[in-house]
Amino acid sequence: MNYRDPKLRDLLAGEYAMGLLPPRARARFERLMAGDPELQRLVADWQERLAPIDRTAPSVAPPRRVWRAIEQGTLQRSFQPTQGAGWLHSLAFWRGLAAATAAVAAALVIYIALGPGPARTPTVLAVLADNTGTPAFIATRAERAGEIAVDPVRPQDLAAQKSFELWAIAGGLPKPLGLVSATPGQPLLVPASAVGSAGTILAVSLEPEGGSPSGLPTGPVLFQGKLLSN
Amino acid sequence: MLADAAAEELLALMRGVVRRDRTAFAALYDRAAPQLFGIALRILRQREEAEDVLQEVFVAVWDRAASFDPARGSVMTWLVTVLRHRAIDRRRRRAHLEDRLGSEEDLLALTAAATDETDRGAGLAALQKCLGELDERPRQAVLLAYAYGYTHEELAKRLTTPIGTVKSWVRRSLERLKRCLDG
Repeated sequence: MNYRDPKLRDLLAGEYAMGLLPPRARARFERLMAGDPELQRLVADWQERLAPIDRTAPSVAPPRRVWRAIEQGTLQRSFQPTQGAGWLHSLAFWRGLAAATAAVAAALVIYIALGPGPARTPTVLAVLADNTGTPAFIATRAERAGEIAVDPVRPQDLAAQKSFELWAIAGGLPKPLGLVSATPGQPLLVPASAVGSAGTILAVSLEPEGGSPSGLPTGPVLFQGKLLSN
Repeated sequence: MLADAAAEELLALMRGVVRRDRTAFAALYDRAAPQLFGIALRILRQREEAEDVLQEVFVAVWDRAASFDPARGSVMTWLVTVLRHRAIDRRRRRAHLEDRLGSEEDLLALTAAATDETDRGAGLAALQKCLGELDERPRQAVLLAYAYGYTHEELAKRLTTPIGTVKSWVRRSLERLKRCLDG
């Protein structure tokens, strides 16, 4: 087909907007369109002309399960690279981080073992690091049995009207565990049973003050680490 | 204007989605999903399939938000385009042609659809006037294809007319609609 004939181009744009091009012809047309801004404009004009017909379809509220499925489907992708800006910039970062975190954790355990021992040696359960592998938060076994304490290792930068929120991620939806302080000394205490088993990922995301309004992370994940044991 | 404000709001939410803002994503869904679900139901006539398509579209929106280009049209137009193509594909995959043939009443209701007082009503009125200038059967072909996702083959069967004739009806109708709407 001669895709340079202006009349044919407009006709194909119209048939494309109608949804009448068979799958293969449509795929071909879309490839063509990708590098042809004028063709894109022709299609947009047709969509504009025909769009009033869409509005004659009565709106119908979809059942809630559709949104739940969308949330589930997209959350898993949130931890993978996306086109353009993503929570995490690359999968390599994510993989590298796990290694860095494990190394940091090992170093910390040694440090704690060799250091001038406090009365009670805290057991490090997880180290949450930023995207350079620098540790930011640690999760330790709390003094009270059955609790885990999460505290920053040093003061963290946190903008006004923002909060750090801790999440446990074990395959499904992230589970909110509470807000963590940006300054050391006021650890967040969570029941160990709420955190999950070894291998669970602990992540801290940046949220509006008071935490995510939706019960799911809305801001970027800034720190994360794997639970080494529980 | 009412329609412009709504379009601006959707655009702001879409920008949020590009930034991976899940609250914006949820709000975009709340605003757009009922209209999209209605369109999917009209094409598929089957709730479960319409739900699947709606889900696929929003997962694709999250994945490909960055490829949305506001210069190429409104957010709603983009969403409708993605949804219609997916719904039509699914309809085409059904084994039996007969399953896909709907009833005529809705189509007649469509040509006589009551317009409302907002801007969207005005756009519909202009299109209806131009559709009214087409001959009856070519007009049916256009509406069955656009609103119900009929293929050329289905149009030929439904309108008991050779496929070549149906194709040229649609083409000529598109040319006439364009002249009428742009003129």
